[in-house]
Amino acid sequence: MKLRLKNVTGYLMISPYLIHFLVFVAFPVTFSLLLMFHRWNIISPMEFIGLNNFYRLVHDVYFWRSILNTLVFLVIHVPLQIMVALFFAELLNQNIRLRGFFRAAFFLPVVVSGVVVTMLWEQLYGYDTGLLNRLLVSIGLQKIGWLVSPQIAMPAIALMATWKNVGLYIILFLVGLQSVPSHYYEAADLEGASHWQKFWHITFPSINPTIFMVVILSTIGGFSLFIEPYIMTGGGPLNSTLSAVLYIYKQGFFYYHMGYAATLGFFFAVIILSVVALQKRFIEKETGA
Amino acid sequence: MISKIYFFIIFILIIFSVFSCEKRGNVKHHKILYWSSNNPDEIIFAREVVNEWNALQGSTDLEFQPVPEGRSSEEIILAAVVGKTTPDIYSNMWQGDVEYYARSGVLIPLDTLPGFLEFMQERCDNATLAEVTSSDGHIYQIPWKINPIMMLYNVEIFKQLGFLPPPANYSDFIRAASLLDNDMNKDGYIDRWIGYCEVLVVWYQRFFDFYPLYLAASHGAPLVKNDSIVFNNTYAVEVFRFLQTLYSKKYLPRERLSARSDAFLSSVIATRFAGPWEIAHAEKFKPEGFEYDFSPLPVPDDHQGEIYTYGDPKNIVMFNTCTYPRKAWEFLKFMLNKVHDKRFLEITHQIPRRKNLFEDEFFKDYFDKNPKMIPFARQAQFVRGADVCPVLKEIFDIISQEYEACVIYNTKTPEQAIQDAANSAQLLLK
Repeated sequence: MKLRLKNVTGYLMISPYLIHFLVFVAFPVTFSLLLMFHRWNIISPMEFIGLNNFYRLVHDVYFWRSILNTLVFLVIHVPLQIMVALFFAELLNQNIRLRGFFRAAFFLPVVVSGVVVTMLWEQLYGYDTGLLNRLLVSIGLQKIGWLVSPQIAMPAIALMATWKNVGLYIILFLVGLQSVPSHYYEAADLEGASHWQKFWHITFPSINPTIFMVVILSTIGGFSLFIEPYIMTGGGPLNSTLSAVLYIYKQGFFYYHMGYAATLGFFFAVIILSVVALQKRFIEKETGA
Repeated sequence: MISKIYFFIIFILIIFSVFSCEKRGNVKHHKILYWSSNNPDEIIFAREVVNEWNALQGSTDLEFQPVPEGRSSEEIILAAVVGKTTPDIYSNMWQGDVEYYARSGVLIPLDTLPGFLEFMQERCDNATLAEVTSSDGHIYQIPWKINPIMMLYNVEIFKQLGFLPPPANYSDFIRAASLLDNDMNKDGYIDRWIGYCEVLVVWYQRFFDFYPLYLAASHGAPLVKNDSIVFNNTYAVEVFRFLQTLYSKKYLPRERLSARSDAFLSSVIATRFAGPWEIAHAEKFKPEGFEYDFSPLPVPDDHQGEIYTYGDPKNIVMFNTCTYPRKAWEFLKFMLNKVHDKRFLEITHQIPRRKNLFEDEFFKDYFDKNPKMIPFARQAQFVRGADVCPVLKEIFDIISQEYEACVIYNTKTPEQAIQDAANSAQLLLK
């Protein structure tokens, strides 16, 4: 009892986080694990259905389509983001005029609301009325069905997401680039190394930890693709932009299939963990970290 | 030591205050709480009628508030059901949701209240009564208001096309679309269409294209009947074919026309399938000299008889958290009498779902003053709501998927798309 009273202050100090953790993390996770074995529409009592939700998941073509769509998005978005971010970070690391302005300008889309950006790009991407197609036609090219072609819609969303988020990764790469010791480059200059050789043999290995972080962050961010297809396409055309999170959201909050949505969410979390673990292993192997 | 005890007491107080939120369901309260929709006009009406009732009763037992703000009123109601904080009366329930709540046991079967059936028979026709009767034979809702979906059209455009009155069947509609000049500023881009239907695959969007057109073509046939899918028929196929033709000939845009000035009022589209809410909007924002009117929806060329449409009905329910259902029922009878129905019409310009409304002399002066509402009053006799089915949203979602594949992207024949939709939807009902 004496020991407990002595620890009261400690408990009091950690109680805000502890309450938050119990209410918003531990309880939802435990509850969703329980939900996976039940059918529940929120207002009726839960009904135990064993492994039926897992059986349904295995045979659910829309879910697998949404996973495939998300992977397509990642395959386009992550490398594009890294290349564009690295390119601009390298430029902004040079002693150019208005460097501060450009750094702020590239970061601006990151702080603008995702909904606003999405609605803006929806206007740019319009097939008959959009500015991008008008530009293409004015230089003699064909119109592109940015959001109305099933083949183009997901790459178009990936392009937009890259534009929206690249500013953050430019800043991260800038930090990485500025931490490379300048005497490495001085030594390389003395040896007569070209720009490309300096980049490939000095810059690139030196910023590997940053690249790793950017890959992980943009992969996890990419897996949570939701606002863009939710607002711009609703998952269409022909389910080509139906992301996994959007599909889980629809199951949970359009149709109140809470048990099934929890099963999809759990399975999707396992996929994210696996992909991130694979990435980590691959990058560590490549960099010898 | 004392400071530690103080800390401990404060800690306990914080925990106690966090977890001691009032659970309304367990609290006996003698008042009746009524939630209306949060439409400003309906709030005015509800406040007026509640004040009148309380004045008559000499009490303040009836409390009113609009449904709390949220992303949608459906979501708020669901949250209230889960938290057992539902009002006693709610007057903005989408008819398609009633079966879901009824089967979950959170609604009061209103037909168990004294005089309910007599009241309903006086107010509604037999078709409406059948439409709102639940699968267990009880009635959980009172049909209150409708906003029939009709074809809003630009008078000037159709006058120029030589189609006044506007096209009434599919062939004429397509012919009118083919005559429409779709490049207003002659810059080589399509910038005008015969109409616009939402291209997003969201289940409720089909209430403004496929579903009203299906009801129009089929004389108001259901999609689901006795837990069986019954929309695999020529009417549904013809509706898909009609819309598919309009998209494939580029008479309807595949892109969304949102986030811009009103496409109808700026003559970018010549028609829109819409309800009477468009009148107030058009009167407020239309350019000078702009003329518009409403007509029934286009139907198949060989269509005979009346043209039905979707009524977008919102009904009144009582939740089982209601402690005094009889008292609440007395108020509802008061709110739904002829005088208040007329007042509702005057304030909100929504049609009370009352039989022979247009023929009734009592309402005549309203329609004399509001001639734009006359087509809706006439159409009100030929509307359908949502079928009795607990998975109606999923069924509309399946139809939406097939609609997109067939109608918008032409990847399936209408026959195949309707067949696939019916097969998938039937699985939900097993």
